[in-house]
Amino acid sequence: MKLSHFYKFLHIIILSFVFFTFKIFAVENIDERVKKLTLELRCMTCQNQSIYDSDAEFSNDIKKIVKNKLKAGESERDIKKFLVERYGEYILFRPLMNYNNIFLWSFPFILLIIGLFFVLIKSKGNKV
Amino acid sequence: MNRIFILTPLIVLLIICIFSLVYLLSGKDPNKPPSALLNKDVPIFESSSLYNAKDIIKTKDIKNKKTLINFFASWCSPCKIEHPLFFEIRKKYPELYLLGFNHKDPTSDAKKYLKDDGNPYDFVGVDSDGLIALEFGVFGLPETYLINEDGKIIYKFMGPITMDILKNEIEPLL
Repeated sequence: MKLSHFYKFLHIIILSFVFFTFKIFAVENIDERVKKLTLELRCMTCQNQSIYDSDAEFSNDIKKIVKNKLKAGESERDIKKFLVERYGEYILFRPLMNYNNIFLWSFPFILLIIGLFFVLIKSKGNKV
Repeated sequence: MNRIFILTPLIVLLIICIFSLVYLLSGKDPNKPPSALLNKDVPIFESSSLYNAKDIIKTKDIKNKKTLINFFASWCSPCKIEHPLFFEIRKKYPELYLLGFNHKDPTSDAKKYLKDDGNPYDFVGVDSDGLIALEFGVFGLPETYLINEDGKIIYKFMGPITMDILKNEIEPLL
């Protein structure tokens, strides 16, 4: 009888341990995701600082919103979309891959191709 | 052939310089990016009056009337600078609906501010948690928005409005 009580007690202890471990892990996971996402967001009221690094009121508000939205199960993509709709693409450190930014994204590759083309021609010319 | 090799990087550099120069001379301030909500519908909001919590204003209440929305707070020094201009606007454009949103301010401070400096607004809505400002993409006070009769944001200004801005940028839209 005493042994069964002991097992029940042990059961509760183990379950509680598992529960709190998961709880702590979930909180840490959310905090990590908030950090990851807010590092990619620009503080609009600071000089070249991310929202994560800034203590400005604007940044603290955005951190709160990001955290609440992540807790509510929204994806990082949805949160970025929500912020871009209100603050514009300027809030993102990394410009979006879209039609408007095609020149921005492709320009380094265009330069690389032009460079390679000239190197190729030059090397051929040197051989001759 | 060698001339092409020398000239190509210079031409590329020249193009980059021209682009940079055009951007710099365009008068765009990188610290004041254009509003993402410009030419879009006014965000959905609901706010109670500073003076009577039962008095509520909603997005639909400003439909069909030209509205100037101003986000302000008693703790915001630049707001005090632009405040007298709203009386000018009120006098000159009596048909324009002036909507003030009091942002993250203790009610007593906001009331005192409007009692001391005067209240030019038709309605003062409370935005105590800053959620209305968030919907409008506000990131610093004061900010002013002009909404047309179709409920679209046609103008946004960040910072205190001056007489020059009023004459050159806002009045042509009224």
